Amino acid sequence: MFSRRLLLVLGALASVAALLAGLYFGRAGLGFDGGGGRRDAATLLAITLPDTAGAPQTLGQWRGKVLVVNFWATWCSPCREEMPEFVRAQADLGARGLQFVGIAIDSPDKVRAFVDEIGLNYPSLVGGHGAMELSKTLGNRLMALPFTVVIDRQGAIVHTQLGPLRDAQLRSIVGQLL
Amino acid sequence: MDSLPTSNGSVRKRQFADGAAAVTAAERPAGRRPGPVAAAPGRAQAPVPTLALALLLAVWPAAAPAQVKLLENERAFAFAGRGLDDRTVEARFVVADGYYLYRDKLRFSVDGAVLAAAPTLPPGKVKDDEFFGKVETYRGMVLVKLPLDAAAPGRPVTIRAESQGCADVGVCYPPQVQQITVTLPVAGGKPSVPVEAAPEKKRWFN
Repeated sequence: MFSRRLLLVLGALASVAALLAGLYFGRAGLGFDGGGGRRDAATLLAITLPDTAGAPQTLGQWRGKVLVVNFWATWCSPCREEMPEFVRAQADLGARGLQFVGIAIDSPDKVRAFVDEIGLNYPSLVGGHGAMELSKTLGNRLMALPFTVVIDRQGAIVHTQLGPLRDAQLRSIVGQLL
Repeated sequence: MDSLPTSNGSVRKRQFADGAAAVTAAERPAGRRPGPVAAAPGRAQAPVPTLALALLLAVWPAAAPAQVKLLENERAFAFAGRGLDDRTVEARFVVADGYYLYRDKLRFSVDGAVLAAAPTLPPGKVKDDEFFGKVETYRGMVLVKLPLDAAAPGRPVTIRAESQGCADVGVCYPPQVQQITVTLPVAGGKPSVPVEAAPEKKRWFN
């Protein structure tokens, strides 16, 4: 009995420690916590995917900007919900070096239709299962959406988030990088 | 140490209660609260259970750790099925609490027999989605009867179910295909034992 109590206390402390660590590294919120602090975004920046017109685009072309890579899909309601906020942030902060890039896990025609519908003012590339697997290597263990990665001007991943990235949180994260 | 059991009990209860609350809280704009975090290391003198409880209360809602709660796709939407009679398979989804399936994304296909008719899907709960309009969703248990032709008792029938769903915290899973193989009972026999697509954990059943 006593050891079970002790385990409970230790367990509680461990979860507190984990949560504190998550907060300390700025990776909490509804976010995934892959741990490990800053990581190189080289793998992500090296990938090439077609844009909505079918032209190949390499993420590395935006190196040097504060890059927000958002994995999304038209079949994902919370993704669609948060994207208008990204459009506003791109309009507000683009001149200061903020660059959003979408990676849609979807078919090109559906992506094009939605891009037109909301007047997306940043590029969205079109990926398939491979892109989803890529997000898994970045910490999207469940391969769920939306999943968003913030990369600083030096090419390091400073934040990854599974689930909506709210406007205030987004602006607070990128505000320190711009 | 006498106070420990009680304190422990409340820590444990709080953990569950707050964990559940955090899922709901995550739908609100997530605001980080640096105050409790900064204060935390200085409180190491407090009795351990109290400290743990205080920290949990202080940190948990702010952290809203969806990663702690989110289930694998096949666990959130656990597929199973059984041979109901000599020409019917009963397919079953058990949707975990806090998750929902889209009715119009459900698809079934069959190997080892032929679907005699398009399966009748039970009505879902109408959700007025900002983008998709009125869509029907399933929560809890979903039962779908699959009427089969060219099936024979004792012969295996493979059912593939495609589904797509989301978690209330604001995360959607990609479409997934789950597969089971069941054996139909003889005419007039008892339904077969349910077969689960992802059977390692049985807690979604029984």
